Amino acid sequence: MAADEDNKEQVLKECEQAEEVMKDKQNQKSVSEIIKENIQLKKEIEELEAELQETTRTSQINEDIPETKIKFTSVENPESDSEFSDISYSCQVSSKVPYELQKGQALITFEKEEVAQNVIKMARHLVQVQNENVMLTANPVPLNSGVRFQVYVGVSKMKISVTDIPDELPESQMRDKLELSFSKSRNGGGEVECVEYDKQTGSALITFVESGVADKILKMKDYPVYINQNCYRVTVSPYTETHLKKFQVFSGVSKRTVLLTGLKDLQMTDEETVEDFISIHFQREKNGGGEVEVVKCSLGQPHTAYFEE
Amino acid sequence: MRLQELQRNLRDCPQGKVPFPVPESPLVFRGHFQKGKAMAKSVVSHVRICYPLPGGSALVTFDDPNVAKQVLQQKEHQINVEGFRLRVQVQPLELPMLTTIQVSSQMNDHRVLVSGFPAGLKLSEEELLDKLEIFFGKTKNGGGDVEMRELLQGGVMLGFTEAGVAQHLCQMGQFMVPLGKKQSCLRVSPYMSGKIQKAEVRPQPVPQSVLVLNIPDVLDGPELQDILEIHFQKPTRGGGEVEAVTVVPPGQRGLAVFTSKSG
Repeated sequence: MAADEDNKEQVLKECEQAEEVMKDKQNQKSVSEIIKENIQLKKEIEELEAELQETTRTSQINEDIPETKIKFTSVENPESDSEFSDISYSCQVSSKVPYELQKGQALITFEKEEVAQNVIKMARHLVQVQNENVMLTANPVPLNSGVRFQVYVGVSKMKISVTDIPDELPESQMRDKLELSFSKSRNGGGEVECVEYDKQTGSALITFVESGVADKILKMKDYPVYINQNCYRVTVSPYTETHLKKFQVFSGVSKRTVLLTGLKDLQMTDEETVEDFISIHFQREKNGGGEVEVVKCSLGQPHTAYFEE
Repeated sequence: MRLQELQRNLRDCPQGKVPFPVPESPLVFRGHFQKGKAMAKSVVSHVRICYPLPGGSALVTFDDPNVAKQVLQQKEHQINVEGFRLRVQVQPLELPMLTTIQVSSQMNDHRVLVSGFPAGLKLSEEELLDKLEIFFGKTKNGGGDVEMRELLQGGVMLGFTEAGVAQHLCQMGQFMVPLGKKQSCLRVSPYMSGKIQKAEVRPQPVPQSVLVLNIPDVLDGPELQDILEIHFQKPTRGGGEVEAVTVVPPGQRGLAVFTSKSG
């Protein structure tokens, strides 16, 4: 009896063990499957995130700014010291959102928003252009996003940037030589507050105690530094810090400008003439229009129209 | 969850639009067009330059830039004042101007945009920013440590020390936030930040203005102003009609502000 029971127990144990092993094997299989799936999913997420980054990189600003006339406006007396250490520049930059006007399309800007909305509501307009009658459809203009931000630039009156420093001495010694050379008033220098020297790039940032010294030195392109009886000319340039503020992406929405379509098969090919006819039609209140600011159409090649704030 | 969200975003996003909500800005076509394909263009406005004037200096602005040019032909000017002479130096003025700017934008996973503020909200900028920082600083609201905040047109940007917080808040999407007497339903969405790729600054002369330096400490501010104006108006000394004279007496400082004519 006991032996039987022992046997049963033994068999049970072995069964349980076998089951466990099987379960383990099954678990392992699904675990490894899950791990595989996970890796695959992570990869997909990475790829999609990268793609998302690409599409959102559409709003780039690349602008060469033409000369702007600057005039003296006023004088201020701020409390803080920091406002006197830099010449500060600031400006606002905002995108002009482009819209590609295809052949057969026109843009019309009304003075009043209600007129534009009414023209869109009426949707279809029969317009006379020279000897033809064309049916134009009015719709809102689908616009892309743009960006808007402020740029701040500080040009230091106390610091200068030095480059082309020869790699002749160990770091600490070179720093001392730079301090000595830039302190010599007979060369245009002045009392030095501190020197930050980067041996690897051969560049340094010199901070002076007084405000006028940097300006004086920057009038020259280079400056003499004395090392072991030799005179080296290092390049000096202004130290500027630039940063952005209030950066934001906005979605362009056109309230006063309407998109007109239906000019594709027009006989008349002179854009200016067509624009005149469109303008005349939409100036009339009885046509649902009102005061028109601007009309532009494309009858052949596409044009790019710029939308601004 | 994340995968589905991304797939949905990409599918729904038309070319050229960002795939998450951003504030709307009304734009108008004023007639500026170009033949051919669309190119990115931007407009620069509101240029403002602050120039520190040292003690014992003055800024003289003439009506006619040619007068300024004439005055500058002499580096040193001797100003006669009741029996003695003031010797001063004149210099042309050059100001740093931004000539090239390249900015790229990219998703910032530590920041969010809060939008949907009700119209007529009677809070100052500081009050609004404080209330938002308090609300979104609390973990019980799904937020966390706020590192930075900035008021924008149509929204507020909040930056968190942990990226996970920003992501979590975007997923939650909407929040009832107490702003004053009532609670407002605000929306939280991803934020794109800008990065300067290139910025070039070049000195540009100010043709109508002249810097007067090293003015000796012998006269009071208002007297000095009059003396300088009289001197620089004399055509016999190469001067002409003076638009403005700003004097910074020795021992003091002043900040001269220049702005662009259009902005």
